Amino acid sequence: MPAITNNDIIQPITANRITRWSVVGMEAMWGKMFDPPTDSRPSPDQLLPTNPVPEVMAAAGLRNAPSIPHTFKLDLLHGMNLTTWDSRPGGLNFMLIGDPDSPVASGGTFPGPIVRVPRGVVYHCETQGKGPPPHTIHWHGIEPTPMNDGVGHCSLEIGHYVYQWQANFIGFYFYHCHRNTMQHFEFGLYSALMIEPPDAYFATQVLGVPIGHCRDGFRRTAANLAAFPQFPNFNGNLLTAADPWTGDVTKNQLLAFATDPHAMTVAYDIEALWVVDDRDSRWSDMAKDARQTFPRFGSQPGINDEFTQNPGANGFAAFNDFNADYWFVTGVPVPAHVGGTAEIPHGLLVPPEINSGVTGTQISINAQVGQTILVRVLPASFNSVKVTFPMDVVIIAWDGRALGQPPFGHNEAYLVPAGTPIDTGTARRFDALIRTTAAFSGAATVKFIDTRGQNVVGFEQVVMTALIPIHIVGPIVPTGTVAINGGAAFTRSPSVTMSIASTTAAMMQFSKDGVNFFPFEPFAATRVVALPPGDGLKTITVIFKDAANNVSAPVSASITLNSTTPTGVMAINGGAAFTRSASVTLSLTVADTAGVTLMQFSKDGVNFFPFEPFAATRVLALLPGDGLKTMTARVKDAAGNVSAPITASITLDSTAPAGTIAFATPTTTSASAILTLTATDVNGVAQMQFSKNGVNFFPLEPFSTSRTVSLVMGINTLTVRFKDVAGNVSAPISAAITRTL
Amino acid sequence: MKFGQNKKKKEDSMKRRDFLKVSAAGVATLVIGSHLPWLGVKDAFAANQLLEITITDAVKEMVTHNAINTAECYFWVYSMKADGVQVPIDCPGPTILAVRGETITIKITNALDENHSFFIPGRLPGEPPIFDSGPILPGTTFNGAFTASQSGAHLYYDNLNEPVNRVMGLHGALIIRPAVSSGLRFTPYDNPTPHVQNLFNDFGNPAVFPGLAWEEGDPATNTPPFRTYVWLTHQASPRLFAKVQRDGPGSAIRVPANFMNAFLRDPFSPIRQNNIPQYFTINGQSGFFCHFSPGITPMGRVGEPVVVHMLNAGLWTHSMHIHANHVFVTSVNGEPSPNPKWIDVYTLKPMERVDYTVPYMRPPDMANIRGIGRADAPLIGITSLQPVWPPVEEFQVHLPALGQTFTLAADNVTPIDMAQRLSPLCYPMHDHSEPSQSAQGGNYNCGLISGIYFIGDRNIPGHMNFPMDADFASMFRNIRGVSGIAGNAPVGTVPAPGPRP
Repeated sequence: MPAITNNDIIQPITANRITRWSVVGMEAMWGKMFDPPTDSRPSPDQLLPTNPVPEVMAAAGLRNAPSIPHTFKLDLLHGMNLTTWDSRPGGLNFMLIGDPDSPVASGGTFPGPIVRVPRGVVYHCETQGKGPPPHTIHWHGIEPTPMNDGVGHCSLEIGHYVYQWQANFIGFYFYHCHRNTMQHFEFGLYSALMIEPPDAYFATQVLGVPIGHCRDGFRRTAANLAAFPQFPNFNGNLLTAADPWTGDVTKNQLLAFATDPHAMTVAYDIEALWVVDDRDSRWSDMAKDARQTFPRFGSQPGINDEFTQNPGANGFAAFNDFNADYWFVTGVPVPAHVGGTAEIPHGLLVPPEINSGVTGTQISINAQVGQTILVRVLPASFNSVKVTFPMDVVIIAWDGRALGQPPFGHNEAYLVPAGTPIDTGTARRFDALIRTTAAFSGAATVKFIDTRGQNVVGFEQVVMTALIPIHIVGPIVPTGTVAINGGAAFTRSPSVTMSIASTTAAMMQFSKDGVNFFPFEPFAATRVVALPPGDGLKTITVIFKDAANNVSAPVSASITLNSTTPTGVMAINGGAAFTRSASVTLSLTVADTAGVTLMQFSKDGVNFFPFEPFAATRVLALLPGDGLKTMTARVKDAAGNVSAPITASITLDSTAPAGTIAFATPTTTSASAILTLTATDVNGVAQMQFSKNGVNFFPLEPFSTSRTVSLVMGINTLTVRFKDVAGNVSAPISAAITRTL
Repeated sequence: MKFGQNKKKKEDSMKRRDFLKVSAAGVATLVIGSHLPWLGVKDAFAANQLLEITITDAVKEMVTHNAINTAECYFWVYSMKADGVQVPIDCPGPTILAVRGETITIKITNALDENHSFFIPGRLPGEPPIFDSGPILPGTTFNGAFTASQSGAHLYYDNLNEPVNRVMGLHGALIIRPAVSSGLRFTPYDNPTPHVQNLFNDFGNPAVFPGLAWEEGDPATNTPPFRTYVWLTHQASPRLFAKVQRDGPGSAIRVPANFMNAFLRDPFSPIRQNNIPQYFTINGQSGFFCHFSPGITPMGRVGEPVVVHMLNAGLWTHSMHIHANHVFVTSVNGEPSPNPKWIDVYTLKPMERVDYTVPYMRPPDMANIRGIGRADAPLIGITSLQPVWPPVEEFQVHLPALGQTFTLAADNVTPIDMAQRLSPLCYPMHDHSEPSQSAQGGNYNCGLISGIYFIGDRNIPGHMNFPMDADFASMFRNIRGVSGIAGNAPVGTVPAPGPRP
């Protein structure tokens, strides 16, 4: 065997030598492959941008107004040094992405500003490599032309360029610099990119829903959950189906789409973003020049190109040798060293200023039982990643492609049981849905697995384990109040209006018997309800449901239905036919289910006095003038039912009768004599009474036109008073006769 | 006229073919039996009778090797002769193609100093191997027969002293294609799942993936049927492999645990004075030589779906990210996928076999009327006043700009302009676990990368071919054997890629 002279150069046992290929005829291609020059060009095949996000953010005060309408801006920056959780000497060097139109993010953030774009708009991003170029932005998973794909050796190193594309698939992507990627991506030039449903952002402009929400008030993402009905508000329309809103002229044209923007999407309540990353502090120290180890083509391409250019500190040329020792979850340090395990803090949120305006995106999860939680996982690490959820999850998408989305979906969403690891690796994104029925407090584990030495049998070297807190409380059930007809005790009509109040309800359902409920319907503050037939006490029961499908305890209200009018009879002066006095007493006898509460009277049958509290008797003055008087009453019950008119009559007679009295002869010898009487009265003379001395009268006796009276000797004077049927008594009148024998 | 499985047997047969410029297309292609090769290369070796394999070694000049920079690596290699014709030696061994059922006589000679083997595991774990020579003693020859018994992508390798012998270079890819269709359309599998069969049924379906079915070719556009590529990944450590040779049989470094510990976990050295791999290859090539090889990088038209068989013979895990098209993972480790995900990146662990089925649809995020990923009418450019697909303005762009001579050609006379026309459409595929994007510890873009080209759109009336950059045309013609593409003016003759002058 030939002698070996040093560690690297060897002599084979045989004389076999495998030569490197020639680049003759392809020298330019060769040079550009590893040393593409920086350039700045206008975007070819340019379109007018239509992305609404910069305007929506500006309107919300989250970003300056875009200097070019509908156009985002990103700068690629160098030279940031950030302190580590353990205050490592020298910290960690970063390259950051900044948004020059953002007061918050112009100096760069880690990760960079999160880009969200509605599907179907023309996206423009004016990008500059600062500090210094070359750079690119590759929109990972977006598939446009090569110049807009942002890979230098295939097209353009910036410089300055406006990237242009139209995203066609709703889902989870990311973006990063594709120059010296092993260094620039590692040093932080990346962030998340979400393609949202096409009505997102437009719905904010037109309908005022919160940023990121769709026109139906939900946040949504693409998914086919036909096999997982536990997730509410799934829209299973085909992508190519007609949009129910198309052609609806009452809606702003911005929201009219050629196809249903909600096709194959599911609503979610919570979005969590887990961008997991690892860093190598040795690289940070030794290779912070953005052009570290750049090769240069030589004077003879393919012959004398320089592949040992620009080494780092200590002669660093070891981008093949990555040894992670710092870790981050969406920019949040994981406080652990190699081999350790640590949890990131609770309650972490992504600020809307660097989240394309969306509020509430979580890192560590706080949610309620019954809420739909969308977890988006992006490994930006160089090592592999193994994510284990402590509860069942349904995987709905990988790499921005919803599973089971026709016509391309030769696949399906699938359940991953609690505790089952999900294998992923650099750049492999997935979207997972969680919806629990019980409270939970714990964490998901994210294991960083060394890319070296894994095998299909299952060996793996865990470099570090991050724990991401998940707290699910509740359920926080909705509460509410209901009233019928503003709290009234009675109703005449079976059609009543419910007044409904709840701060958290999204849906409600009703029952008329407390047992059988109608289907849930959208919450509304008022609802007209028909009571069951038949008078009596009626109770309506309501159950509220919130957006997370938490259901309230039954809440009820009651009212008495009284649709029967009261009846009654009335008497004047106890039913007397006549009255001498205009002041009479009316007596009302009524009947009603719920009780009569009011009454009113009329003296002419036409004009009624106002209702007054009901009483069994009422003194009233008859209209003046003798004659037959009819009084009319109406009574009203508590429900408001009014009786038919109730009448009673009496004759007013205030005139005394008039008459005459006379004996047939002035004298008589008889011991008796016959009085002849006459009397007249409008209503008839009923009685008369006599007196023999003009003072003391005998009892009343029926009127008669003759009366035999006994006589004493001498002069007999008889006085009579007539009384009519009403009781009027005439003035006394007298007649005399003398008994002579 | 399309041709495919219904093609007459006579047309499908071939004589032994000379090796012609195929070394620049990736590893050599060796066809067992009488079928045309269906990789994207013009020529291949054919073995109808006898496959002779010698287990030997070689020194290989790696991607950054040139007159002023030494970049060599020692390998153990399978050297092959097809019906007596020597196939160029490389690491990995030749990519062997066979239609299921083909049988050939095989002779394997061990010219190295320890026991070695030639082993092809069964398609699934627990299944008997497709082929197993058993240990072959130094200086002895194994005689046997090989039958292509199971369809799919297989790794052939030396399974002795695992993983040392394999990682030292004794491996290669074997692709067995079904002889009969598994359903309405051919799939690469004997037993596709319903989803996989339906996917292949949808290739060529105008309502889903307009264009050709996978099994369909088109002579008019030089489009072969059964378009198949192999991405066999590996990592090479020049220091460790040299030490293995230097220390000899029975040495401590040849003990698998020691070898793996050195290869995987040697302490960090800023100047690579350790045994961590420094070269990351697909089919033995890195960077430029991989990305611009039509034998490795698919170069097709919209509507011409291809299957890429990925195999990892090394010990590192890769995240294989492809641009321009999401791809369906139709098989993992020999098992057709029950649920083939549509992804842009997938993990390829050591010894894994993963199939990417590339629909070759129009890159979907080109602006179009509905914006729902269908091949809808494109929007109209405000300056070009033409549809933005095909991207006619971008086709005219040269980057860098024309007129910037950056060097002279090998003749020291001809100025070379670096300008590259942005047509056909060029996209990369790369390992997103980026330490493998290096060579000799740096030199970004000289690592584990290939790509995907769009050279036309057969769904545009007339099967439009995109304009062709001169360098690309040179490479495409010389390696793929296509002398210009219909609709493009022929490009002047230039030297073929091959060993450096």
